[in-house]
Amino acid sequence: MNTALRRAKALILSTPVGAAGLAIVLLYALVALFAPALAPHPPIKAFADSVLAAPDAQFWFGTDGNGMDVFSRILYGARYAFGISIPVLAIGMVCGVPIGLIAGYRGGWVDELALRLMDVLRVFPSIVLALAIVAATGQTLANVVIVIAILDIAVFVRVVRAEVLTLRASGMVDAAINAGNPTWRILLVHLLPNSLRGALAQMPIRMAWAVRVSATLAFIGVGVQVPEPEWGAMIREGSEYVISGEWWVALLPGTALVILVIALSMLGDGLSDLLDPRRAGRAR
Amino acid sequence: MAVLRLLIRRLFFALPILFGILLLTFLLVRLSGNDPAGVLAGPTATGEDVIRITKQLQLDKPVWQQFIAYVNTLAHGDLGRSWLSDKPVVRELLIRLPATLEMVIGGGILGALIAIPLGLRAALRVNGILDHSSRILSLIGFGAPTIFLGLLLIYVFFYLFGWAPPPMGRLDLLTTAPPTITGSYLIDALLTGNWEAARSAAARLVLPCVCVATVYAAPLIAQTRAVAMDVLASDYARYARACGLPPRDIRRMVWRNTAVPVITYGATELVALFGAAAVLELIFSWGGVSQFGLMAILKGDFAVVQGFTLLMSLIAMAIFAVADIVVMSLDPRARK
Repeated sequence: MNTALRRAKALILSTPVGAAGLAIVLLYALVALFAPALAPHPPIKAFADSVLAAPDAQFWFGTDGNGMDVFSRILYGARYAFGISIPVLAIGMVCGVPIGLIAGYRGGWVDELALRLMDVLRVFPSIVLALAIVAATGQTLANVVIVIAILDIAVFVRVVRAEVLTLRASGMVDAAINAGNPTWRILLVHLLPNSLRGALAQMPIRMAWAVRVSATLAFIGVGVQVPEPEWGAMIREGSEYVISGEWWVALLPGTALVILVIALSMLGDGLSDLLDPRRAGRAR
Repeated sequence: MAVLRLLIRRLFFALPILFGILLLTFLLVRLSGNDPAGVLAGPTATGEDVIRITKQLQLDKPVWQQFIAYVNTLAHGDLGRSWLSDKPVVRELLIRLPATLEMVIGGGILGALIAIPLGLRAALRVNGILDHSSRILSLIGFGAPTIFLGLLLIYVFFYLFGWAPPPMGRLDLLTTAPPTITGSYLIDALLTGNWEAARSAAARLVLPCVCVATVYAAPLIAQTRAVAMDVLASDYARYARACGLPPRDIRRMVWRNTAVPVITYGATELVALFGAAAVLELIFSWGGVSQFGLMAILKGDFAVVQGFTLLMSLIAMAIFAVADIVVMSLDPRARK
């Protein structure tokens, strides 16, 4: 127990930024889990007599244009943030890592195809692509998740592929081949654990990105619709009040979003420092 | 000469990518389940109207024949007509392009001018004040989505301080637009000596450009710093220091060697800015091509969507080509 504590302390000291990021992300996760217990009001209950109320003792963060409590809605919004970004991450990794492994190891037409597809994704602002696909396939939450995941797959393919390429050239793989290992064993036992490092460090960064993009899509009006307590949808609802001074409707959910995204990228910075000591002290 | 050869090679590699994008958007539109004839005919149309339009658009033919026909008209520089306004798509896109370019390029230049010197300085003095502030700046720029940044700036500078004009369009209400030369109000007004319009256009540009610059600067600072630190840690940099070269010369050397990867990276990020611009244009009612494309996607005007995606890819390729040329002029190794 004592050693575990000491190790945790050493870890925090080695990347204070990453540890701070982790603490904030965990706090958000707790809020998402216990939102019903923490929220002072139901998230979609409209108080008709206090529309656009400024922050006060009853409504800590004020109310929006429908008279709904902004603070409660922000708490519930954390559920959407995690509910979208975790499946996105899972799909992105489950599909992207194997493709990256095979493309990097095999080379040839598989690699060529993967590269060309990534080129197509690269020359395209991803938000526009996501929007076009969601608009064409139907505006459901599941489609939003799938589309963002597809864009994520490309990132994981690229990261893992690059790691595999350097590992291939390192001689370790040649040694494994000459020792008579079958291909599946080389891929799973030798290449996968070694190349996962880059993918792991990418995870919080990709999560931050997914949170940001899904909120942006909801802001545009795609995916989650307005009465739902999602941060992007809330910012959309509040955007018309910003020029008349009711700042809390849009800017408070926005702040919640920004803090989570920054915390996730701090965690990502810390992770990549930990996983790759050569990079320590350098920014992403 | 080398530049010409590079451009030809670029074009050669670009063709399959362009083809892929065409096919992707085409399939997306056809598989979306939206019936173009139904949309075009409108809600009051009879069944016969729909059939006539279906024939006219050749929607009754197999999908691959439709695609060939589409590519064929495209090759003649024709993107068809908007399903909603019935105006030629090419014209609709091109009259709106300068507004977007004005905002993205203005903001991009501003962002690069802040990010690159800051990243270099941060790398030269690791853990200095500048290093930490650049790291914070880059975290904020990465964390704040454009939607939040735009609204925050509007609230602070328009509502609270009243310094910025209202976020509605590119010119003040009572200002007449200058005659179109480049399409950018600011440049056109300056060219025609219309100071009133120039002042108005410039004031309107400030907030959107600051947003674009922040979004652009954030990753660029981090990248510049990381590359410059690699260069500083390299054997040749250490040798140069060991030989006692003055810091000014070393800084110049670090910059030259940092520039190449940073420019390539900056080009990729610049392409992504056109996506961010769509949202910013929405917030500032800018009326550029990104907002137009966004609206076309939302309204299901797929003739415009196809044209828009094509335009975006062409812009991306042009940016990459320019970046390549700049890199070649800086790096003798790239000239081979």
